[in-house]
Amino acid sequence: MSEQQDGRSLGRRRFFRALGTGSVAAAAGAVMGAKEAQAYDPGPEETKARYRETDDVRAFYRTNGYETLRK
Amino acid sequence: MARLKFLCDANRCIDCNACVTACKNEHDVPWGINRRRVVTINDGKPGERSVSMACMHCTNAPCAAVCPVDCFHATDDGLVLHSKEICIGCGYCFYACPFGAPQFPQATNFGSRGKMDKCTYCAGGPDADLSEAEYVRYGSNRLAEGKLPLCAEMCSTKALLAGDGEIIAQIYKERVVTRGYGSGAWGWKTAYGETITVT
Repeated sequence: MSEQQDGRSLGRRRFFRALGTGSVAAAAGAVMGAKEAQAYDPGPEETKARYRETDDVRAFYRTNGYETLRK
Repeated sequence: MARLKFLCDANRCIDCNACVTACKNEHDVPWGINRRRVVTINDGKPGERSVSMACMHCTNAPCAAVCPVDCFHATDDGLVLHSKEICIGCGYCFYACPFGAPQFPQATNFGSRGKMDKCTYCAGGPDADLSEAEYVRYGSNRLAEGKLPLCAEMCSTKALLAGDGEIIAQIYKERVVTRGYGSGAWGWKTAYGETITVT
């Protein structure tokens, strides 16, 4: 193996070593800085009851109460 | 407070699919998705029954139990709604649901299913009531307008009942007593852990 090739392979090893060290440091930073996962909290506005017994709803109950299958 | 439920009177359902069409039209449901479907059992045989099925808005909903991102929430009137902002389209809810309610709009080039879509009981979603954003994502919000789900309101044979669970159970009981027979409230045992007994 020539000197030039040795020098090139050493350079490449240093490069990958530096890259590996950097990745580990970045991952550690990300883990330390991560926030705990929060469950979805819809809030009272989204979970409030929207059902109201309006005239429309009362008419539905009234007409469905007739047993018309006996006709 | 009222607990909203669906009840399909299988003795009245004639498999006309009007509920399916009304739902698709009311909510501008995308191609390939049916929030409501009519299932026919023993097709063409004696004892044939048709049942209109959609999300039953279960008590202790299994879809919500398996969702990895907790995109479901239950409203104070018992509806199980979900946030399309949070849904990741994993499909777990589809496998968990005993009624096959969750639907997915498309299979993309990368295998993603898209955001889950299901019956909202005509109650929209987490966006502001009657807003454009709510309509685009979830369809119309008839409950906020003081109305009931359109599928039930326009059922031509009055097979599909919606509203306060206690009131529609009473309507069904009176029907069974008057006509002298009834095939039971389909899905109630699975969805709400109860059946309607007529005494």
